[in-house]
Amino acid sequence: MAFLHRHRWLTPYLLLLPGLAWLVVFFLVPMGYLGKTSLEKGLFPIFTFQWAWSNFHDAISLYHVQFVRSAEYAGAATVIALAISYPLAYWIAFRGGRWKNLFLLLVIAPFFVTYLIRTLAWETILSDDGVVVGTLRHLGILGSDGRLLATSVAVIAGITYNFLPFMVLPLYVSLEQIDARLIEAAQDLYASKARAFLRVTLPLSLPGVFAGTLLTFIPAAGDFINAQLLGTPRQYMIGNVIQSQFLAVRDYPSAASLSFVLMAAILIAVLVYARALGTERMTGMAAGR
Amino acid sequence: MTSAAATVAARPRGRAGWRALAFVRRNLLNVYALLALGYLFLPIAIVIAFSFNNPAGRFNYTWQGFTFKNWTSPFGFPGLRDSVVLSIEIALLSSLVATALGTLIALALVRYGFRGRGLVNLLIFVPMATPEIVMGASLLALFVSWHYAQGFMTILIAHIMFNISYVVVTVKARLVGFDRHLEEAAMDLGANEWTTFQKVTLPLIMPGILAGGLLAFALSVDDFVITYFNAGPKTTFPLFVWGAARVAVPPQINVIGTLIFVVAVGGMLVNVLFQNRRARSAA
Amino acid sequence: MTDQLTRRALIERAGVGAAALTIPAWLAACGGSGSKSAGTTGTSGSKTLAKTLVFSNWPLYIDVNEKTKKHPSLDQFTKQTGVKVKYIEDINDNDQFFGKIEGPLSQGQGIGRDIVVLTDSSGLPARMIQLGWVEKLDKAAIPNMKNLLPVQQHPNWDTNRDYSLPWQSGMTGIGYDPKKTGGELTSVEQLLSDKKLKGKVTLLTEFGDSIGLVMLANGDDPSNVTKAGFDKAVKTIKKAVDSGQIRQFTGNDYAPLLAKGDVWACFAWSGDMVQLQADHPGLKWNLPDSGGMIWTDNMLIPKGGNVFTASTYMNYYYTPKVAAEVEDYVNYICPVQGAAGVLKQSDPKVASNPLIFPTKKMLSNVHQIDAKAVNNQDYKKAFQALLQA
Repeated sequence: MAFLHRHRWLTPYLLLLPGLAWLVVFFLVPMGYLGKTSLEKGLFPIFTFQWAWSNFHDAISLYHVQFVRSAEYAGAATVIALAISYPLAYWIAFRGGRWKNLFLLLVIAPFFVTYLIRTLAWETILSDDGVVVGTLRHLGILGSDGRLLATSVAVIAGITYNFLPFMVLPLYVSLEQIDARLIEAAQDLYASKARAFLRVTLPLSLPGVFAGTLLTFIPAAGDFINAQLLGTPRQYMIGNVIQSQFLAVRDYPSAASLSFVLMAAILIAVLVYARALGTERMTGMAAGR
Repeated sequence: MTSAAATVAARPRGRAGWRALAFVRRNLLNVYALLALGYLFLPIAIVIAFSFNNPAGRFNYTWQGFTFKNWTSPFGFPGLRDSVVLSIEIALLSSLVATALGTLIALALVRYGFRGRGLVNLLIFVPMATPEIVMGASLLALFVSWHYAQGFMTILIAHIMFNISYVVVTVKARLVGFDRHLEEAAMDLGANEWTTFQKVTLPLIMPGILAGGLLAFALSVDDFVITYFNAGPKTTFPLFVWGAARVAVPPQINVIGTLIFVVAVGGMLVNVLFQNRRARSAA
Repeated sequence: MTDQLTRRALIERAGVGAAALTIPAWLAACGGSGSKSAGTTGTSGSKTLAKTLVFSNWPLYIDVNEKTKKHPSLDQFTKQTGVKVKYIEDINDNDQFFGKIEGPLSQGQGIGRDIVVLTDSSGLPARMIQLGWVEKLDKAAIPNMKNLLPVQQHPNWDTNRDYSLPWQSGMTGIGYDPKKTGGELTSVEQLLSDKKLKGKVTLLTEFGDSIGLVMLANGDDPSNVTKAGFDKAVKTIKKAVDSGQIRQFTGNDYAPLLAKGDVWACFAWSGDMVQLQADHPGLKWNLPDSGGMIWTDNMLIPKGGNVFTASTYMNYYYTPKVAAEVEDYVNYICPVQGAAGVLKQSDPKVASNPLIFPTKKMLSNVHQIDAKAVNNQDYKKAFQALLQA
């Protein structure tokens, strides 16, 4: 303890060390291999390192449609997930009482049943001859031979459902921390319920919103399985392209360069987003806040 | 008073209708939360229902009739039980380790100034943005180059690796809103740093840590692509399900999913009830 | 014939054959790959059985006793030969499994398996032979090879069956609901262009199946793919995709859609239909008039596997009684002659199902996809582009 007192500067590095070491060895090093692969060219199984920067150019020019589509789907899913999750997280945080942890467990419960089985259940619910589609056709929202499965609606719905826990949990974590007395105080000062929410609760929950949207958008952008099972070729995302380039075509440089373009695009988007929301508050950049 | 009267006059609907509307408005949050939970559980209800299905063939796609026999022999397929056990073991271990490692990183990021924090943030975000297939295959390439046999350890290593980021982001959300004054107060009252951390900080950020752990558990128990590449001869529950799906989707899978869910919820319920009893007896 | 095979008899029998092969085998072993593999030791030429046979297969692809949760045929093998079988069900997709094993194999490492099972229509068995990643079978240890169905004896990618032996086969044809299609559906052209079926048709993501069936419908030969024939098939499929006729490209996830009525007609595998028809007897399956495809899951010995033990197991599997036992559970197409005869007595329903024991007429109307085409990078790219508009 005294040692740490004298060498205060060491503390953050010690805290970071185990986790970062794990990531460096088991993530960065493999990414290094991937980086080398992305600059190779050739035909399976022989690839030669050629500083092939053209791979990146090809990645964008050939597949920009899928890149944009992935951003759209992931964005839509994130917004919808936020709309569904915020009130739920709020309810658990403020009204959950002693049962809070139970509700959190319930939120991740769908993951105990594998993805395939969950999706089969959705295929049953959204079946062309099922109740949901029937009702929508009746109400005129869908054409008389309209369908929900094998459309972009199904794909976005699948992504949203899949990532709901990733939105609820961070939101809850942030909301639960808010002292209810602050809200009371605002109302004592004549703020309406809505005003109190907008001026007190919402700003205080922004770290949770930031975290939740990131945890949803980032992995959703690279998703492939929802488009594969619930979509037509016209819904295929960049994740599907990477999947097929890697497994079927076995063009590893192409898959690698596509992956790096995707990662770069996501990171740039995250940076812009963080700036927009005010980085210091969101990521605690300012030390000792 | 006048506004209420005006409202009544302005909405000459049937009293029942107006009352229902008022009920909804007052309980908007509750109704919304209930709907959201309903949405979350609709497919689960179908899964549970289909665990009682009695198909003649090997696919559990359409309702064929009610039976209990799936529940009396939930592990009727060889390899199924081992895959479930393995999945749970890996999920528990990996979420524990990842939560520990991730919490430490979150603490460092939020509370300390140090050189390279931008890089650290980058290193945390990039794994989440990486497509699973290249992450899994590259990790396998690493293990192969080390001549490190694939199996339990490689699955565990991979799961810890991808879980860390999610824990960091979740715990950070909690830490960022944390009121440092509480810690200052504790130290003013004579507590040293370690005691303050133990008695003040940790309990207050525990929901964040718990949430991160739950997220990691969920990710781990459902992971397919990365696990597939690094599992060697081992089979986890998702691997078994996806593999079997080519020729069969037995109702037993639904049974097991339901069982895991019921056991977890049951455990949690017992915990809450136990705490209630303790709180009441302490009062 | 080999019902009462004992270890001693096996070794004696093998010894006779080995005497003739010994010198060339030793030469091959000496001059061949010197790399010691991490998994099982390479043993071409050795005539002793290993203690364990490591067998990778697709899940639920071997007989299962649901009460004891064991595989009776494997237990019998252990009883007869003393070889324990480590049965691993980790193959669920050809490309994915290949992606898993190509790393170690390309670096000369073994993968710790004696037998793996891959589908010919994926082009991967052909590829692995080309790359030298498989061992030659010890044919002297597989006298039962003569029980192989004649139509399977000379595939174009392994003409003398030096490296592979079929495990199970399946046919690809048209699966449909006659009530929705308005009767029998025997034409791929109708599948792709009948407006009544718009949005209710799925094709397969499997290159061999989709391209193969469409080529046949266009009058081209899929076992000998030409650029013109391939392009024509792609154009035909693209037209159907663009018009909205084709709802999705699926793996075997067409099965729940067909069962629920979201899909009315699709390219379907015979084995799936057997299971679907158990619950939905109204569903039909037949080969298209223009011809269907047949694919085979083949047993291969990856480099580093124990050749003699693996070959011994293959010989055991090719006993009609054993093959019948496995067939009774798996219900795909059995490659072993004589199994039908055994099943006629024990399970006549299975023996008489043309989806499990196809008639001569059916077998004469099925084709295998040209492995060279499946492995052709340009064709692969073009097909994948179809799948992602």
